[in-house]
Amino acid sequence: MPQAAFNDVIKRSFDDLSKRLNGSASGPLHKMREAALKSFIEQGVPTTRHEEWKYANVLPFIGLEYSRVSEIAKSVTEKDIDEALGELVSVLESGWRVTIVNGQFRGDLSYLPAAVTGVSVDVLSDKLIANDEVVRAAYGSVAKSDAHPFVAMNTALACDGVVIRVAKGSEMKRPLHIAIISDARQVNVLTTPRILIVAEEGSEIDIVETHSTIGDQQALDVSVSEIAVGSNAHVRFHKVADDQDDSRHIGYTAATVARDGRFTSHCINIAGNFIRNDLVINLADVGSQAYLYGASVLGGVQFADSHTVVDHAVNNCHSEELYKGIYDGSSIGVFNGKIFVRPQAQKTTAYQSNHSVLLSDKAQVNAKPQLEIWADDVKCSHGATLGQLNDEAIFYLRSRGIDADKARALMTYAFVAEVLEHIDHEGLREFCEKRVASKLGTEPLSL
Amino acid sequence: MTPILQITDLTAGIEDREILKGVSLTVNPGEVHAIMGPNGSGKSTLASVLAGREEYAITGGTVVFRGNDLLELSPEDRARQGMFLAFQYPVEIPGVSTANFLKTSVNELRKFRGQEPLAPAVFLALMRERMKLVEMDQSFLSRSLNEGFSGGEKKRNEIFQMAMLEPILAVLDETDSGLDIDALRIVAGGVNALRTPTTATIIITHYQRLLDYIIPDVVHVLWDGRIVRSGGKELALELEKRGYDWIKQEAAEVA
Repeated sequence: MPQAAFNDVIKRSFDDLSKRLNGSASGPLHKMREAALKSFIEQGVPTTRHEEWKYANVLPFIGLEYSRVSEIAKSVTEKDIDEALGELVSVLESGWRVTIVNGQFRGDLSYLPAAVTGVSVDVLSDKLIANDEVVRAAYGSVAKSDAHPFVAMNTALACDGVVIRVAKGSEMKRPLHIAIISDARQVNVLTTPRILIVAEEGSEIDIVETHSTIGDQQALDVSVSEIAVGSNAHVRFHKVADDQDDSRHIGYTAATVARDGRFTSHCINIAGNFIRNDLVINLADVGSQAYLYGASVLGGVQFADSHTVVDHAVNNCHSEELYKGIYDGSSIGVFNGKIFVRPQAQKTTAYQSNHSVLLSDKAQVNAKPQLEIWADDVKCSHGATLGQLNDEAIFYLRSRGIDADKARALMTYAFVAEVLEHIDHEGLREFCEKRVASKLGTEPLSL
Repeated sequence: MTPILQITDLTAGIEDREILKGVSLTVNPGEVHAIMGPNGSGKSTLASVLAGREEYAITGGTVVFRGNDLLELSPEDRARQGMFLAFQYPVEIPGVSTANFLKTSVNELRKFRGQEPLAPAVFLALMRERMKLVEMDQSFLSRSLNEGFSGGEKKRNEIFQMAMLEPILAVLDETDSGLDIDALRIVAGGVNALRTPTTATIIITHYQRLLDYIIPDVVHVLWDGRIVRSGGKELALELEKRGYDWIKQEAAEVA
């Protein structure tokens, strides 16, 4: 039974961690870990019989032998990271980088805004939890362990995570890049990066989260990012999956948005073997807004599963969601988009659309919009389409001298570009456009 | 003088149904030919076969375009050799702007001719100039190709593309259908401005109306898959006056 073996790995890792903690095993963080471990064991590793995991089969890789984090030498250098990140380094070089290696924050490999006021980066610790009311309130409550087995797993094992705070009224002009690295050069690793972002009232920031694997051994990266968006604050969150071909990632991003706050998310899946992204947004106070954009450009045997939830908890909130996918080879895509409109959430506006194009007979996509509306004075809509490329359009382009392959590439690129154009950060948008175009065998359209 | 296009005994059909039953036609440089005929006579099939639509099967005859066997060429190679089809129903392509589409298209044609791609500024200036021919607003350049364009705007956009691609042979497939009189005048004006002594145009139309603005050198009547009559521009006027029935009758008597 791979599940039992995996549970053992998690329990052993937890025991290991408890021993290493040296006295702080009685602190609030470890109390949460204990509860989370219990919750993880209760929930169990999901199988495809579990509705939320119907297409995401984790059994093939949870049975692997994973080394415990403490056994891994801290030998990653800046050069290793730059290599793993590739072109993103120059794209984001004007910004700040928070580096997490095998789940642990690495100050020595991070560029932090020391001289800059408005942003602070701290290691998640008992002390911080004890002294900081905001952190205490947010940690583990934006992303709840009992809601998701891998959130529980992450919470049980997360240690030396990162807390990023954007101070009241601070408009950060540079993006903050969270570079999450799995070092699998010597052994198989199971990593549990944990991030908490608190954007205080009226603040504004761009966050870019990336996940990169180094080395030829197997890595399973189970990460959780919690984001508390303060009143009238705006967080633009970007998650770019552009990792090694055999990489595996299970990610959970949760945001709660306060009065008149805004949370914008861009999830771009380009490279990686197994990508599961849960994005859960709670529109918790009046006037809050969420914008969710997603694009998957898959081929070969890639798998990408996007599960999104927008919870309209109160009245007068607004959400817009646009997810698109292009599937070639025998790749598999999943889109599951839930929108909840609670009984008290009158005057809600919520729009969702999901469009997919299959480029091959063997590719598949599973799309499931799920709207649950309990209020009556709302405007909600959803649309999902699945298609092949329009032959007539390809002929039209060919009759203008553009060969068939290029015509297809142009059309698929244009299809995805409609999502990418919502990325405000110019460098990042161009990077994504370039990567998507190159994967589709064309170049970005530039006029 | 070498003809631009020489069609000899062309037979073609779709799904076992023969539509073109032996079409012969010679188009010389500088000429404008009009092909008229009632619905179902094979006009659009002829345009489709010339453009290279794969759903049509060629069962006999030859088509020589500028000395090459046209039927051997892919649609893109036909365009690169100088053939242009103005579509009866231009396709909407979301996400691809008119400017980007044309840049790709023009540069593909240039590449084929061994020329460097046009510099963006030069290209933009060229587009602005050519748009004036069909009185198109510059705002169309950044809009998705044909998406949300009115019928008239789509047809003007076809002629704008023709102006950009500078074809040797332009085939206008029912370009006049669905146009009001102003749009018709604009489209015709564009086509006339693009006439040169070295290029040719084939106008496929059901009505005589467009030929008031674009004066053809030769008018052909296509009926039941054959060209049953050819004449000067006065033939179009006669058709307008008398309809197609007398042609059908004559053709039946000959057969």
